[in-house]
Amino acid sequence: MVAFEVPEIDYTRYTNRQLAAVPLAVLAVALLIIGGWYVATGAPVNPGLDFTGGAELRVAVDAPDGQAREQIQQAFDPNPATIRSVPSDDTYILTFQTEEVGVSTLEEQARAAGFEVQSSYTVSPSFGSRTQLLALGGVAFAFFGMSALVFLMFRTFVPSIAVVISAFSDIVIPVALMNVLGIQLTLGTVAALLMIIGYSVDSDILLNNHILRRSGGFYESTHRAMRTGVTMTLTSLAAMLVMTIVATLFGIQLLAAIGTVLVFGLTTDLMNTYMLNLSLLRWYKYEGVGN
Amino acid sequence: MGVVRENWRIFLLIVVLLGSLFALFSPTMAQDGADAPGLASSGATNLQYGLQLSGGTRIRAPLVGVTATSVEFGETQPPQVEQDVAGQLDGVTVADVIVRQQTQTTGTVEVTVDGVTPEQLGTALDSAGYTYENTREGVTAETRSQTVDILSNKINEAGLSGGTVQQIQTPTGENYVLIEVPDENRQRVVNLVNQRGNVRVDAYYPTDGGYDRETVLERDDFQSIGNAQQGGEGQLPHVPVVVRESVAADFQQRMVQTGVASQGGSRCRYETAPNSTDPCLLLVVDGQVVNSFGMSPGLAAGMRSGDWAQDPRFILQTQNFSEARQVAINLRAGALPAPLDIGPDGEGTSSFIAPSQGQSFRTDSLLTGIIAVFAVAGVVFLRYGEVEVALPMIVTALSEVVILLGFAAGIGYPLDLSVIAGFIAVIGTGVDDLIIIADEVMAEGDVNSRRVFQSRFKKAFWVIGAAAATTIIAMSPLAVLSLGDLQGFAIFTILGVLVGVLLTRPAYGDILRALLTR
Repeated sequence: MVAFEVPEIDYTRYTNRQLAAVPLAVLAVALLIIGGWYVATGAPVNPGLDFTGGAELRVAVDAPDGQAREQIQQAFDPNPATIRSVPSDDTYILTFQTEEVGVSTLEEQARAAGFEVQSSYTVSPSFGSRTQLLALGGVAFAFFGMSALVFLMFRTFVPSIAVVISAFSDIVIPVALMNVLGIQLTLGTVAALLMIIGYSVDSDILLNNHILRRSGGFYESTHRAMRTGVTMTLTSLAAMLVMTIVATLFGIQLLAAIGTVLVFGLTTDLMNTYMLNLSLLRWYKYEGVGN
Repeated sequence: MGVVRENWRIFLLIVVLLGSLFALFSPTMAQDGADAPGLASSGATNLQYGLQLSGGTRIRAPLVGVTATSVEFGETQPPQVEQDVAGQLDGVTVADVIVRQQTQTTGTVEVTVDGVTPEQLGTALDSAGYTYENTREGVTAETRSQTVDILSNKINEAGLSGGTVQQIQTPTGENYVLIEVPDENRQRVVNLVNQRGNVRVDAYYPTDGGYDRETVLERDDFQSIGNAQQGGEGQLPHVPVVVRESVAADFQQRMVQTGVASQGGSRCRYETAPNSTDPCLLLVVDGQVVNSFGMSPGLAAGMRSGDWAQDPRFILQTQNFSEARQVAINLRAGALPAPLDIGPDGEGTSSFIAPSQGQSFRTDSLLTGIIAVFAVAGVVFLRYGEVEVALPMIVTALSEVVILLGFAAGIGYPLDLSVIAGFIAVIGTGVDDLIIIADEVMAEGDVNSRRVFQSRFKKAFWVIGAAAATTIIAMSPLAVLSLGDLQGFAIFTILGVLVGVLLTRPAYGDILRALLTR
């Protein structure tokens, strides 16, 4: 069997500034995108059905290729806001962001057009906005709880803040990517953002632990931490990538949403841990500590 | 004995695994699938599937209503208070006002109809001359539990097997009613629960200046309610009922007085000629006249002679059979004290999954999980290239899932998509931590002594414990906040992390030691 090895990067070739510049630049761009989104749309992300309220129908359409969408457009009044086809079976997921028409009416329209209603889901706007508040509170609680825990564990400022900044960036960059790629914020993506907090901190803690608490030189410790950490992130990444692809094919939106955002988050985490966190740690180790 | 003592963690894992398998597969542990509320059992295993994976309808909505607390009635009786309050509010009938006494002279006043704000209730109480402490959105706890009971009755009466109704409260203090009905179409459930179900019979009869209407029978006046009948042979669909003895004589007298039970019976033409018809009986559901009928000569004669009250049987005619069924359900289950806030501008959410869709979600998500496991296994094998390290890793991670599945089967927790997502997350974090252990233990050359192994394992465990703690913190909001479907995801991720740290990861350490320190 061919074992792959995590490549050893010669960090001595790069200064701390150089190392930190890339992730910080990406973070800045991400913040700009989110800020711009806020200015342009009034919300930092595109809230999905769970938060805005509306209805979602999954209908089986028995139509020749290419005509299904047309039939759907004709069948419903108001027209669906989005139409997504599920590759594995001939169904379409339609969303309606409307308050005037109830989901019962939409179901009737679907049946009248000869579609089979596979599932329907509706959230009222007022319920949605309350959910949004709860979700926001949940993410904030998770983030601050994690930060407090990290500070308790390391009890030194620079390594702790390095972890917290990395985790912050791990959340912000996927959110910006969601905006760019048109992925809406749903309960699934909120769950994924919380998972990122859990997953991404692992490799940061590992790195800090190896560098601060073990004997051995900085670069040796770094390499050992990387070997373990990169393997960890890669296995998770592989699982999530596969889950995203398969769930998308099957039209299981919850799993697909969680998978997609985690893929973004884990990839971001690779960059943040081994460039941003590492540069901060190296600065701390060689210059920050007054020894 | 030494073997057991040294490897007790492995033995503990095996015992727990066996227990989980027992919970999963043993027929003795099986909960009766048909009776388990809101769930469908799967056959081969004892796992329960939630609506997402078995199909059905879920409705979650608050109750409509506003409440005034500590209202001073003085000497006035509750029915009078209800009338006074209803009289002050537009579009509110006495049936929409509920007065509950707490002491002799004080209590709560609820108005359970859409469109009345707490301020309006306050103004109405002021104008009616009652003092109160404050008014708020929402209804009282009594009304909530009454509504829940009646809704469950309705679902049982309608023959929707396995349906459940429960109250849930969010941590922020909002109350919702959660209705889950497996295998049932959304529309049917909504039709059933959306009706207040207030059934009464009115007499409609001519007086000097025109026609008068008066309620003659209400739900409490019936001793028993029969099953809806199809009718046939000239008879319309109907519900046979028996009127209570205590009110039968009264009713009989009213029938004679109003002329419904006149000589030779009465022929009702309420729908076509409401201004010239014979006296009629009107069947009224939630304020809407659903049918009108006269009285047969035979029944009328019985009432006139006074014999009917000895055997007070009666039928409520309807236009069609489904209406008859609806009336029977409403009469038996009772009227909802407060309606559910569903509908386009309501506060509720509802979801429906077709049983076929649920089935395919079940197999598809299982397949997704298995493929994800293979992806993880592939990376692990590629990375280590040693079957001795990699295989136990995969087996250990999978055993975490088996334990969680056994747990879910044991407590009857319904599996949903979010729980499956949790399992996949558990495999992800589980393998991550096993990688930490393996790398740490195998670092810098061979592990030749037990002491070296122990110290390295301890170091690895510090990181794992820290990582587990952060994951639990990150997931805890989802586990307690009622953010819809995601509670299951959070609960099983947290459980998985706990099982991993306390059970499987220490056992993996032992396995690895056995393999490496031979």
